[in-house]
This record gives sequence, structure tokens and C-alpha cells, in this order.
Amino acid sequence: MYKGYLCLVLHGHLPFVRHPECDYFLEENWLYEAITETYIPLILMMERLINDKIDFKLTMSLTPSLIYMLKDSLLQERYLRHINKLIELCHKEIERTRWQPPFQKLALMYLDRFSLAYQTFERYKRDLVSAFKSLQEKGVLEIIASCATHGYLPLMELTPPSARAQIKVGVMVYEQIFARKPKGFWLPECGYLPGHDYILKDCGIKYFFTEIHGILHGVPRPKYGVYAPVYCKSGVACFGRDWESAKQVWSSIEGYPGDYWYREFYRDIGYDLDFDYIKPYIHPDGIRINTGIKYYRITGSEDKQPYEPEKAAEKASEHAGNFMFNRERQIEYLYGFLNKKPIVVAPYDAELFGHWWFEGIMWLDYLIRKIKFDQNIFTLVTASDYLLENPRNQVITPSLSSWGWKGYNEMWLQGVNDWIYRHLHKASERMTELVKLYPNENDGLLKRALDQALRELLLAQSSDWAFIMGTGTHTSYAVRRIKEHILRFTTLYEQIKFHSIDPVWLSEIEERDNIFPQIDYRVHQ
Amino acid sequence: MKIRKMFSKVKEKLKLVKKKRISPKKTKRFKKLENEFTDKFFSTETKVEESKYYTPLIPKRYPTVEDLPRGYGEDKLVLQTRDPWWIHAYWEISIHTYERVKSELREFFHSAKKTLRVYDVTNIIFDGTNAHRYFDIEINDYANNWYIDVGGPGRSWCVDLGLKLPDNRFITLVRSNVVRTPLDGPSWITDEEWMVPEEVFARLYGLSAGLGLSSPVGKGWQEEIKKRLWQPFASGAFASMVSPVKKEIKVGRKFWLVVNTELIVYGATEPDATVYVQGRPIPLRADGTFSLRFALPDGKQVIPVKGVSADKVDEITITPIVTKETK
Repeated sequence: MYKGYLCLVLHGHLPFVRHPECDYFLEENWLYEAITETYIPLILMMERLINDKIDFKLTMSLTPSLIYMLKDSLLQERYLRHINKLIELCHKEIERTRWQPPFQKLALMYLDRFSLAYQTFERYKRDLVSAFKSLQEKGVLEIIASCATHGYLPLMELTPPSARAQIKVGVMVYEQIFARKPKGFWLPECGYLPGHDYILKDCGIKYFFTEIHGILHGVPRPKYGVYAPVYCKSGVACFGRDWESAKQVWSSIEGYPGDYWYREFYRDIGYDLDFDYIKPYIHPDGIRINTGIKYYRITGSEDKQPYEPEKAAEKASEHAGNFMFNRERQIEYLYGFLNKKPIVVAPYDAELFGHWWFEGIMWLDYLIRKIKFDQNIFTLVTASDYLLENPRNQVITPSLSSWGWKGYNEMWLQGVNDWIYRHLHKASERMTELVKLYPNENDGLLKRALDQALRELLLAQSSDWAFIMGTGTHTSYAVRRIKEHILRFTTLYEQIKFHSIDPVWLSEIEERDNIFPQIDYRVHQ
Repeated sequence: MKIRKMFSKVKEKLKLVKKKRISPKKTKRFKKLENEFTDKFFSTETKVEESKYYTPLIPKRYPTVEDLPRGYGEDKLVLQTRDPWWIHAYWEISIHTYERVKSELREFFHSAKKTLRVYDVTNIIFDGTNAHRYFDIEINDYANNWYIDVGGPGRSWCVDLGLKLPDNRFITLVRSNVVRTPLDGPSWITDEEWMVPEEVFARLYGLSAGLGLSSPVGKGWQEEIKKRLWQPFASGAFASMVSPVKKEIKVGRKFWLVVNTELIVYGATEPDATVYVQGRPIPLRADGTFSLRFALPDGKQVIPVKGVSADKVDEITITPIVTKETK
């Protein structure tokens, strides 16, 4: 008899970055790295668990922008080029490190990993979305929907049609890709504005997640804090994140990823090795970049020591045990205190695992196995299964909140990025105007122009651009993207209004920004 | 077939490998912190999330994109909520409106001060006169946006951009939308069916906020919790994240030097021969040349290079010996 539940949620997202106009484009590496380091290892982990007959429940969101990149044939081609280059580099590294066994061992490890990534990629016919889909069909993974381009909803208060378009397009993409209706929804950045749950309700969504104070500062007071979901007035359930389990992983000091035995993210042979040698594997202009081959462990001092995979695996196992132990104590206590089986919700950025925290997926693997075999206090659950078992919950209105810096809107609304809203809001108003002006276009050039206008608007709305500007480093790409999409939108708007659509240019941007092939502009109302 | 020539050269390359030191990017975490409990670990999350978009710093990589317009030629004032205490306003006033007001006010126009009038419109339908209270912020002529410290969580706000005349008259140029700031603590409203005793809720709140069983539950627990969360934890675990001062500790001078040594072994033989280096076969280029590159640790390396003809009849071995020491 379990005393409570743990709901693990991984949020998978990358902004839509695809540049057919360039043979090599640096920011596309975000996707390639995440494929090698996060998505494929996650798929392989779930396959291993299934093979070992371990039943488990994971929840994962895949945003439409990520889905369309994973399904795009150009990016798939380029990923193969990328991974083959890495494999070639590994072979060279194995030779180069012949007299340094601790490093040669690591070069071999990377060769294994990259080769496996290559094989897995080919095994799924280059379509990793189909891998996640089949895991969902096997009942171990619940994939939830998310906004079209990860638009940050609380800052669309002024333009409700855009909030609706972000959510509705997200749900439509989900239905097309996964051939079922989504039960849950990931609000980008956990950004919740009271009232947006009604849009979710319209789309048939049963639940979403918020940050801790979304629930704790809700009205009226939540009787069970974040340890039971609440219903919004719309009837959609809202699950609050647990602070303790978040802190154990995130905290820069107490957090597991900072362990000295874990791999150091910031030491990469792309920066460390001789220029002439590494040149074919970095940016074609000779700019050093991360290759993904990293030989050092965090160490705890500047004198970094070689990474030792066995030691790191021991640590991952130990940390999984520690995480489980803490959840057992927490859930036991809450069970006694609340007279109710608590649910502990632990959502993480999926790209944290494998990419930033190299051992993260191993940790997750250990954790799932330990939960199955080493304890009987709690069980893994999805939010939808929890609701089936526990349908009666308190009704409250959660508070405006996000999981971003300081917990509200400031990450996306501060001195360096507040200028974008003037343009985003205007473009959104103009889109609404176009929809009113042309409510019945079903085919032809005008319809294509209207659809493309909506694509450009949605792409401009990605929270990623404001986020990158907010971090204050290498912001030029983000600024460029916002400007480009707004300018393309504005040009389309003017061409539509003045009946002067340029079909050649339209085809060109349709090919560039080819996300959402089946979109209908009327969703923006 | 006879092996006509075979040579091997050993060349040691000492390289100063410039190591780029990348410290975890400073997020905006050192900006003024507000006493809000979630602050403590968000900055780490931000850093982690930032690693998703990790690219090297490259100046001017992109062709400049045309600038967006400064405005759209309309009268508009937009409010957005930043957090429980702050709202943001951006605006534009069309030249047309300016000219109209200028001609109406005539000589008063130049002494008028551009002002934001911030109304507390909580739970009312605002008609311009019935606000609970208002306050004015004088702004400069060039500003087109402003962060407003309303200091009032859980309330609704509306703003007029206008001109304040010396006789205290206020001429509204444009009125904003209404926004609501969220609460900065738990609600005082409870519901009967889901009643929760104050003590129990206080404990639950402290647990949820990560204070564990030591969180205060007695009178004034909310204030206590805010204070506790504001202070670094007893363990000091969060000290460096909470206190910007700690990060400024001088760590000494930043000069550094890294030297690595690599060895290149290269040579050539018949294209169809087989070459072994330290007993392991190596790939030859189509023209029979080869080159190998090794990270060279301290110590002595004996590197027998053996060439064997395609018919396995001829065999030549050349053995460079390299000793490296670092002083």
C-alpha cells in the first residue's frame, strides 16, 4: 500500500532554428547536441527499462517547434553529417590519446555513444518523434502538448487571440502527430495567467502544471498546498511543483549536477586542442565551439582531473538513492500530516539531462529502478492517472506565476527585452485584423499569405528570444530572429492589405519558415 | 615488390594551446533581489536553461537586420504586470495628437510636464474619477516606457499618460488597459468545505517553500517565513546565490598559461603496404603517406613503425624514441 506518488515531468523544447540558406548554421547545433545527449539517451533508457520489464510512468512534453525540427528532412540530413563528423573525430582522438590511457578510455566512450546515437537515429528512420510516440503507445510515457512555439502566455494578456492560437496550434499539432488527444498541457516556462485555463478547457485539456506559488498563493487557500492538485474554475486541474525535489537537482551548491565526480560542461576539446587539428570540427570560419567531447570532471578546483565514468556512475546511483530516500521521508511525513496520499510533482527541463548534467539520464535510470525495487512508500504516477484515482479536489484560482527567474514575468520583461512587446502586440492586433478582413479564404495565394503571416507571428513569439536577451550573452541571434519574423510579418500584412502579394518571395519564406504545414490562419481569433 | 623508400620523420611540436576559459555565464542574478522566496534557486535554473542556447561569443556574425519602427503612428499606452510589486508601461503618442494638444494648450504647452498618473482601480469599473487613489510620475520627453513601482500586490492598476500644467490641471493624452498584480503571499480567503487550520497551513507553506519542519507556524508566520527565506539558510547553502557581495571577493590576478605537447609521426610507403605503429595497424592515405598525432605525456616513448609489403615478403622497422620532460 503506497503512501503517495511521485510525478516526474520532463519538458522537451528547443526553439525552431532552421537555416536552409546557409550550409552550416551554428545555432542548429542546439538541436544536434540535444539529440545526441538528451533525446536519444532518453529513448534508449526507456527501451532498456521496458526490456528489463520495469513498469514506470514518465511524463514528457514535446513542443511543436521541437517536433517539427525532429521531423524536418533537412535537419535530419544535417544531423547525420554532424554525428558522422563526431564519429570521425573520435577515431582521431583514440589515436591521439594512445599514450594517455585515461583519455583514450574516454575517447572510446564517446565513440560508443556517438555510434549508438547514429544507429538509433537510423533505426527510427531518422524520426525520433516516432520513437517517443511508440513509447507513449507502450504505456510508459505520457506525452503532453505545449504551445505552438513556446510563446510566453502571461505576456499575451493584451492579445488573447495570440494566446489562443499558441495553445490551439499546439493541441492540433499534437493530435496530428500522436493520433490522440492530449490530456495534459505544458505552459511554457510554467507561465500561468488566471483565465488561460479556459482556453485549455476548450481544447479538451485535463491538467497543466504551475510553479509552487501558483498554487500556494491561489485564492482561496489550497488546503493541501502543492501536494494535491486543484481545479481551476474552468474545471481544468492544476498541479503545483514541489520545491524540495526541485532544489535537490537545481541548486548550484547542493544540487547533484555540481558533484566533483561529474563531467565538466565547460571543458571541451573544441576549445582545448590545437587549432589546426580541431579546425575541421568547429565552425567553418575557424571559431572554436563545443564539440561535445569533454574529458574532465568538475573536480572542485581549476586543476581539472580526467573524468572517470565508473566513479561518476557510482555517484549517479548514490544520488538516485538519496533522491528516493528524501522522497520516501517527505511522502511518509506528508501522508501522516495531511491524512491523504500526497503527490510530489517534479518537473525538469529535459535538456538538463544529458546535456548540462551529463549523468542525468543515468541518474534517472537508477532512480526508476530503485523506486521499483528498493522501496514501497511511493509509486511513480502520471497526472492523468492520479486524477482518475483522486477525482475530488479543491477549486481555487491559481496565481500568476512562472518558473523563471524571480517567479513571475521579469525574465521576459526587463530592460533588455521589453522593447519587443510593442512589436509583438502590434503584429498580433494586425493578425486579428486580417482574420476579420478575410474570414473565408480556403485556398490560393491569399490563403497562403495569411497562413504564412501567422507562422511568422508565432515564430516571433517564442519565449526563447526574450530569454536569451535576458541572459545578456550572445543575444544577437535572438534579436535578429525577432526582427526578421516581425519584418516578414509586416511585409505580408502590407502585401495582403494592398493586394500585392509577391508569390516568389512568399514561396521563399514558406520554404524557410516551414513549421506548421497544416496551419489555418483563422485559429488566431 | 620491393619497398623503394620509406622514411619517417619525427617532429615534436610544442604548442601554446590557448585555452578559452568560460565561466558559467553570469545571469542577471546579481540584480537587486526582492524578498521573494523563489528567487533562491531560479538563478541556477536560468543558468542551466541558458546552457541549451550555448554558443560562443562571436562579435558581428550576422548581417544587420533592418530596424523595427520606433512606433506605429497611434496613441497607445500598454500596461503589463512584471511581478506583485512592479508593472511596466510602454506607449506612443502620434504627432497628430501632439499637434492638437499643442494648439489647444498654446502657451501652456511648453510648461506642461509629461506625467504618468497611476490609478488604483481594484474592484471597480474605472471611469476616470473613481479610483481608490492615484500617484503621479513625472517622466522625461524621450522615454517611451517605464517600470512603475506600484508596491501593491493583489491590486488592479490603470495609467494615464498626460500633461500636467503648472496650475495642476492634468490633460490625459492616452489611457491604458487595466492590469492586476498577483499576491505576494498566501490568500486570506479560505473556503468552508476545504477549511484548513492556520497552524496546519503555515506548516504546509513552510514545507512547500523548502523550509522543512523548522519553518515557523506561530503568530506572524508569514513574516517569519519571508524573513527566513530572505536570509541565507543556516547551512549557508544558498549564500553565494543570495548575496551578491560574496561573488565580488577578489580571486587574485587572472593571468594564465597552458602548454600542451603533441607529437606528429608521419611518413610514406607503398600505397598497398601495411604499416604498424607500436604494433597496431594504421590507415594509409591513397598515395601511401600517413600521419599520426599523439598527445605526448612526460616520459620516454618508444615508437616502432613497421612497414610490411602487400605480399608480406618485405618488412622494414624504424623506431623513433622520444623523451619528453617538463620543467
